[in-house]
Amino acid sequence: MPPADAINRLLFRTVTDASLSQKPSEIEREVMSLFEQFRNPLLRYALSFGVPVHDAEEIVQEVFLSLFRHLQLRKSRKNLRGWIFRVAHNLALKQRHSNQKQCDHTADDWGIAENQSDPSPNPEEQLSLAQRRRRLLNVVEALPDADQGCLRLRAEGLRYREIASVLGISLGAVSISLTRSLARLIRADGNGG
Amino acid sequence: MRNEEMNPDSHPSERDLIMAADGELPARGYAQVHAHLAACLGCRARMAEIEGTIADFARAHCQTLDPQLPPIDGPRALLRAQLSELASKPQAGSWPSLFHFHFTSVGSAAVVAVVTVLIAVMLSGVFLRRSAVRGTHSVAGAFDRGAVPDRSLTPGATRRVTISDVCSMPHEEVVGEVSAALRQKVFREYGIVDAHAGDYEIDYLIAPGLGGVEEIHNLWPEPYTSPTWNAHVKDALEEHLHQMVCSGKLDLATAQRDIATDWIAAYKKYFRTDRPLALRSGLI
Repeated sequence: MPPADAINRLLFRTVTDASLSQKPSEIEREVMSLFEQFRNPLLRYALSFGVPVHDAEEIVQEVFLSLFRHLQLRKSRKNLRGWIFRVAHNLALKQRHSNQKQCDHTADDWGIAENQSDPSPNPEEQLSLAQRRRRLLNVVEALPDADQGCLRLRAEGLRYREIASVLGISLGAVSISLTRSLARLIRADGNGG
Repeated sequence: MRNEEMNPDSHPSERDLIMAADGELPARGYAQVHAHLAACLGCRARMAEIEGTIADFARAHCQTLDPQLPPIDGPRALLRAQLSELASKPQAGSWPSLFHFHFTSVGSAAVVAVVTVLIAVMLSGVFLRRSAVRGTHSVAGAFDRGAVPDRSLTPGATRRVTISDVCSMPHEEVVGEVSAALRQKVFREYGIVDAHAGDYEIDYLIAPGLGGVEEIHNLWPEPYTSPTWNAHVKDALEEHLHQMVCSGKLDLATAQRDIATDWIAAYKKYFRTDRPLALRSGLI
């Protein structure tokens, strides 16, 4: 056997042996499981900042890569859902800042989505539901960023302490913000009939 | 309400009702609000309005954004591939802990010196070996350009399948023809403008017989013309993995992961060879 072949065999055997032991680690499995659970809520949350879908998708990927590094370094596992949303929140803010022009598209995107109505109710009910949804969303869009954040995180099912941790505000501030925002939503709904 | 007792005659505030609706009041406050609601028609109506608004907003939030969400398959495969790559790298910050001690005597300094020399010798061996591997791959790469997909464009994508779904048909019957429009899209993505029909196969990174989907994240233009690691060789690997999965020798997730991460390494691993079997026997 020529020496070069012998060296190649040795090298390739090393590669093969290494790849034989390649199995997903416990942390990889945990991160993938959390991805399945939170990918859509996170994507919706990132989209609500007005970033385009492909940017939002990249933000979500980055969140879970950061989570992997976070767990790999054995950092705190306390309030992981809050941690995940906080990283997404920060990345989405950064992304929105870097492509500020995209922000103006939010209203258009929501306008497009508004036309995709539920097929089950009759046309009159559909129109009424769409109008109500538009009214609610108009009110939300007019709220300060922090209030919008509280409402959207609440809509994704986060607890007040998790919302507080994502937005870096106190528990009391979360409940005050939600009270203020809901009062406006109720008023708008009442005015709209 | 949050820290103080509620006067049984007074109505709960808007904030208390919202916190009660969200399950955020402490147990005692929650009980007081509910006792009040049982007796007060006006507050029950307010509570219903609050709960209705919360539910309506949550619904509006999801219904507005859900139509924009792309399928999860591509992003899932991309994340899996990136995690696998990340996991194979040494952890940042692990070296300093090895050296986290103090010199207390000449003896310990001597031990450190010996250990340092040993590590230097070991590292130089690893470096030389890695250089040799890199050299080998770069030569192979020059001949087999395009044999491995660009992972940022083609990380692989799968659908949810069971073993019985995958094994209910022979491997070759599962593979369908990629549509012309999608083929053009893949060529454009890879910057290939003058592709001849016989030069490339628009190949699935994760074969449909292993649960792969016909989606741009799972397709790449694989040259037939590469002398060593070409589309014919990969077809053989797909067939082999399909057989292994269906005979219970390999789990489906591992097969998907290995072929998506590095199909050439997977070929070497599962065929226990360093080059294509057909090449060894003179068939290609």
